[in-house]
Amino acid sequence: MRQRVEVATLFRLRDSRSLCYPAKMKHEGQEIIFTELGLRHPASKGHRMVHVFDMSDGINDYRLEFDAEVLTWTLVAILEGQHAA
Amino acid sequence: MHIDLNSAFATAEQQAHPSLRGKPLGVTNRLSKHCCVIAASYEAKARGVKVGMRLDEAQTLIPGFIMLEADPQKYHHIYQVLARIMKSYSPIVHMKSIDEGVIDFRGTESYHGHQSLERIGYDIKKRVREDIGSWMRINVGIGPNRFLAKQAAGWHKPDGLDTIDWRNLHAYYRSIRLTDLTGIASHFEARLQSAGIYTPIDFLQATADTLRRTVFRSVIGEDWHQRLRGHEVDDQPTKLGSVGRQFVLDVRSADDETILPRFQYLCETTGKKLRYNGCDARGVIVWATFQTGDSWQQRKMFKTTFYADRDIYQRALYLFNQRPRHLIIVSMGITCYKLSPTARQQSSLFASVNRQEWLAEAVDTINERYDSFMVSSAQALAGKHAVQQKIPFGGTKYFELLLGRSDHNIDG
Repeated sequence: MRQRVEVATLFRLRDSRSLCYPAKMKHEGQEIIFTELGLRHPASKGHRMVHVFDMSDGINDYRLEFDAEVLTWTLVAILEGQHAA
Repeated sequence: MHIDLNSAFATAEQQAHPSLRGKPLGVTNRLSKHCCVIAASYEAKARGVKVGMRLDEAQTLIPGFIMLEADPQKYHHIYQVLARIMKSYSPIVHMKSIDEGVIDFRGTESYHGHQSLERIGYDIKKRVREDIGSWMRINVGIGPNRFLAKQAAGWHKPDGLDTIDWRNLHAYYRSIRLTDLTGIASHFEARLQSAGIYTPIDFLQATADTLRRTVFRSVIGEDWHQRLRGHEVDDQPTKLGSVGRQFVLDVRSADDETILPRFQYLCETTGKKLRYNGCDARGVIVWATFQTGDSWQQRKMFKTTFYADRDIYQRALYLFNQRPRHLIIVSMGITCYKLSPTARQQSSLFASVNRQEWLAEAVDTINERYDSFMVSSAQALAGKHAVQQKIPFGGTKYFELLLGRSDHNIDG
């Protein structure tokens, strides 16, 4: 998809580190509230670092990328829950 | 202690996508009509899907079977977290592949105090769930040597934790078949049976002499005699003998225009591996399999060593052009052998040799900084788009290289 999106994040304290998670996102006029973090992993594009967040709102799964260099959020893919049934 | 991630790639996808949890799914290198399952979830395995099965076969078996394309960066992250957890218990950790590794606890008794290995095993399981995700499951096997630890890890899948030692060794061997032993496939089973060895207990009770002279006809027999009773024989480092790359063609063809860009890309990937290992090569093997079912191979040992992409491609192409040109190629590969530590540190008397070396170094540096194959030969560009990054199944030594990372933070 690769759509630039607005994301609100939370910083949760864990083992004395504050870790950043997407809490909700505005997509096509709708507010999507994330209920579960599937996996977060860094991905390198050369020496540039991108953080990939696989999130779920309880129905669909969303892949978001945070570019640590330019500080932008991009919605990369949506896996619709009913398609995985 | 042997640690093994359960159905690693498939479980990683289920961890990332909560909507796929509990569903039969598979992972493949490149999604296509003819693609094969390289990893299946437990739900798929329970319904008969096996590694190597084609997508259409899996979908016939399970309507609604989901196939996902592999995501190496995701698996690499999980591998790194697992390695980091393992290394917090002992300085001696061997990652055997992307989804399994061994912790050697020898010499760490005073550090761990009275904590049992079983307790540590449960602690590692808990940390994997906390640090990677709640869906992740690992098998833990504890034993006096690597072989028995691996056997223990496979005893009760998934999410098992078992110990095999002198107390239950015989009981364990009584509960399994010969082919359940790691390293004993059907042809070794046939050899053992021809010597009157039908069960793991028979195997354990066979003398070292019988195994060496009658069954394996080499020192391998003595190794098995030691291995089965818990002595360590599998901790010897292996010497790098060859590097190479192979590819099942996305478009079956006999046409040079299709074949050669892909072939050149394979040569350039092989060159990267060669230089990454700090080696020069003297020999090249190229091979192809054809739609007719025939296969072809050509090899040559050269007088001088080589390491640059251009030299590898020139030598490989010279051999590759000798193939039966009218046959449609299904898969092809290149291997460089007769490896020796590189002599590149020494400047040559000849400027042309030095220039070639500087060029190779400069290209590798640019690619390392910006992305793999940011700079490559023009012809290999088409090949780059066709040949996708594969998951390294055997060792993990190329993982950092192939993912375009320069930091060796796994083993460092």
